[in-house]
Amino acid sequence: MSADFLARALVPVASPADARATAAALESYLDRDSTVVAIHVVEKAGGAPDKASVEQRELDAEAAFDAFEERLGDGAGVERDLRYGTDVVATIVGGGHDHDASAIVFTPRGGSRWVQLLTGDVTRRLVEESDLPVVVLPDVEEES
Amino acid sequence: MSADQELARDLGFLEAYTIGLGTMIGAGIFVLPSIAAEQAGPASMVSFFFGGMISLLAALSLSELATGMPKAGGSYYYVNRALGPFFGSIVGWGMWAGLTFASAFYMIGFGQYLLPLLSRYVDFFGTLDGLGITVAALVMATLLTGVNYYGVKETGGLQNVIVLSLVGLILAFLTIGLLSEPSMGEFNRFGWPAVAATVGTVYVTFIGFEVIATSAEEIKNPSRNLPLAMIASVVTPTLMYVGVMYVSTGTLSIDALANSDIPVADVAEETFAPLSGAVSGLPFVSVGPATLGTFGSVLMIVGAVLATVSSANASILSAARVNFAMGRDRILVNWLNEVHDRFRTPYRSITATGVITLVLIAVGVGIDTLAEVASFMYLVTYALVHVGVVVLRRADPEDYEPSFRIPGVLYPVVPALGLLSCLGVLVQMSVLWTPMDLPVGTLPVTPTAVGVIGTIIVSFGVVWYGLYARDRAPSQSLVGEALAPEPTTVADGEGRYRVVVPVANPRTERDLLRIAAASAHAHEDENAEVIAVNVIEVPQQTSLSQDLEFEEERVERQQELLDEAREIAADLDIGLRTRAIAGRSAGSVILDVIEEENADHVLLGWEGTRSRRDHVLGSTIDPVVGRAPCDATLVKLGSEGARGEGDIMALAGRGPHAPVAARRGAELVDAAGEDASLTLFYVQEPDDDGDEDPQAAGEAVVSDVAERAGIEYMDYETRVEVAEDIEATILEAAAAYDTVCVGATRSGPVSQAVFGSLPETVGEETDRTVVMARGPEESTMSVREAIARRLQV
Repeated sequence: MSADFLARALVPVASPADARATAAALESYLDRDSTVVAIHVVEKAGGAPDKASVEQRELDAEAAFDAFEERLGDGAGVERDLRYGTDVVATIVGGGHDHDASAIVFTPRGGSRWVQLLTGDVTRRLVEESDLPVVVLPDVEEES
Repeated sequence: MSADQELARDLGFLEAYTIGLGTMIGAGIFVLPSIAAEQAGPASMVSFFFGGMISLLAALSLSELATGMPKAGGSYYYVNRALGPFFGSIVGWGMWAGLTFASAFYMIGFGQYLLPLLSRYVDFFGTLDGLGITVAALVMATLLTGVNYYGVKETGGLQNVIVLSLVGLILAFLTIGLLSEPSMGEFNRFGWPAVAATVGTVYVTFIGFEVIATSAEEIKNPSRNLPLAMIASVVTPTLMYVGVMYVSTGTLSIDALANSDIPVADVAEETFAPLSGAVSGLPFVSVGPATLGTFGSVLMIVGAVLATVSSANASILSAARVNFAMGRDRILVNWLNEVHDRFRTPYRSITATGVITLVLIAVGVGIDTLAEVASFMYLVTYALVHVGVVVLRRADPEDYEPSFRIPGVLYPVVPALGLLSCLGVLVQMSVLWTPMDLPVGTLPVTPTAVGVIGTIIVSFGVVWYGLYARDRAPSQSLVGEALAPEPTTVADGEGRYRVVVPVANPRTERDLLRIAAASAHAHEDENAEVIAVNVIEVPQQTSLSQDLEFEEERVERQQELLDEAREIAADLDIGLRTRAIAGRSAGSVILDVIEEENADHVLLGWEGTRSRRDHVLGSTIDPVVGRAPCDATLVKLGSEGARGEGDIMALAGRGPHAPVAARRGAELVDAAGEDASLTLFYVQEPDDDGDEDPQAAGEAVVSDVAERAGIEYMDYETRVEVAEDIEATILEAAAAYDTVCVGATRSGPVSQAVFGSLPETVGEETDRTVVMARGPEESTMSVREAIARRLQV
């Protein structure tokens, strides 16, 4: 029997745009039995002042969750999880264990080497550091 | 969720303290001694001391506000909340401007220290002079903007290390300086007015503790850490500054200090040199005085470079929070506050702050003017913060529960003294006491450059309010409440208008809460509150622990129902409390709740069918409506979209409860807004004798009801029909309305009907929404009666 990686998918959504793109890529792979947990991590500086107000980023996270649910439709029964952490990747993986996720599922966000260097390449680190299965979905063209 | 939110708070006392302290000692301690010495000589240490005292007062007021409402945005948020968007606009723009001027000030200070460091080793930099400073400042400001735009990660550990080593550095400077026996000349050669004006100049250094307030939502255990960090980060630098001024003015001549771009380094060069004697006593060490002097100087330069950068960085981030808070209150376009898709930073706000800072550096306003304008804006801010703390205390809104309060004996004194001292310094720094000739006449005083720039920025805030914010920002000033507070309402829970709503059905929950909210809304000035109650009924023969699984399921359903109620309340923007209770009978539990909460109104839903057998309307409705000592309303919901909204008809009559029904109708119309209308309807029996006009008699009844209901001020229609069959006429008329409000036609508990046969028939027969209302029980119960009633349930 093969494992169903999308039985309980933990889907990191970083922003409204990312949430829409991920939902579009994910949509066709979901079946009736799949459950989806959308997770967003508010990155904390752990002692230094944050770049943006926590409340501001919480609002943005809500917008991302909304965009994600809207794209997937009501039937999908998306659960939301908003977390805070100094290490985005570790927090996502921790969330995966807490939710008993079958896999962490996301679409890579591209970006130049330079940008990835500055922002800490979450894609690569997720793939390398996660002890849960990681499913990388191809980014489908977003119809407008 | 709440545990998770705790994780969002990751600044402990040390971090909050170093963030504040870093900004406070940052630029000021290295740059200001030269400017201050030039303006006020050795007596400028008095200026620093007073600057510190003014900040301490502000820190006390701000601590109370920040623990009362720990929100992003700091002083701006509290002033806007307390005094409304007019002052909010002034303070919001003022803080933003203040932070950009301060950033420019820090950056030029950075350039002043960096250049001599570089030119020690590379001759080329020595030839650049003023231009070099500006370029260095521009480059660093651009770099900082970039770091924050791209969200380059910083760690709290680094912050602590930098700030604590700065503190060590300054303590070393002070110790060595004091050992070198400083001797100062004439203490106060420029006079006290100069000392007072210098308070304004050096105040820029004390705006740092604001950074703690703007990050209030991120501080762990804010009730303890926030005031402590603020007070500590004001007191520490005040002492340091006084000491640094003492050493500096005692070591170098005033002229030498005033002409130095790197005053602290120059002083260190002098004071470190004599140490060579002591040091060369140690084995293997051989340093000349010049080398040691240079060492001291370079050490101070490195410190200054780190300090100015950390101050500017904190200011840029603070500015972004002020922007965010202004956008949240719709005083500023929210476009500015978009979070970057990838970097998760408020990139537009950071860019805007960065660009303005660059312009200020490039324009070359002069480092002292930059400092003074920043001080000016923050003195205006803190003057209003002091007013805000008094307003909030007096108005005492529900969401204001400071865990730190200015201690009793200090309370009116701190804000009053704080306000006066802020205003005093503002005036002193804004004008020179010499007459100025204008083409049109003579001004008794001459405004300074700071006075002019500061006034322009404040005026900009005013104009912005008039042109932009006034139409958008919700007016929420608490000044009115503060001037005429209702002393008893919140303090003891008495006198607050409470509506109790038992909820059991997720389909009707929303409409019941909405109708209850309409009633609460009409009593807004009494701090109205809606309380949703759900009761799990446990039959007599089961104990609460029996059949746990089944119970769990019911508890879960109850939670869902009440969660939903909270969501609805948030949607409708009403204050809601929920109570989940298990009891033997829903009716008696609800009556208990009404009594405990001292409720003014209980509102229940009714399915619209009379109960079978031993109850009239229902096993819960009968006892609650029959015995509740407060207003009681029973709502039968009609078709969707016509539930307590649209065209509302209230039945007028001679009975005691008809005005209550009219009042319920008026509340619904008020809450529904423009699309709703109210009609007072009365059916007059024809007068067979014919000596009275039945129409006129009916109209008299209607206007009497309106008067007793206290709704004469409203627009309502009067409609009178003359007919024999009252019930049929009412039912026929009801078809044209969305909602019918009808008062109870009987009172007293012993009867076959709860509200009376007319209201109940209307409720049963029409498919409209029917609101049956009765006022409070007329007579107070005796204890025996009360016990008897309790036993009946």
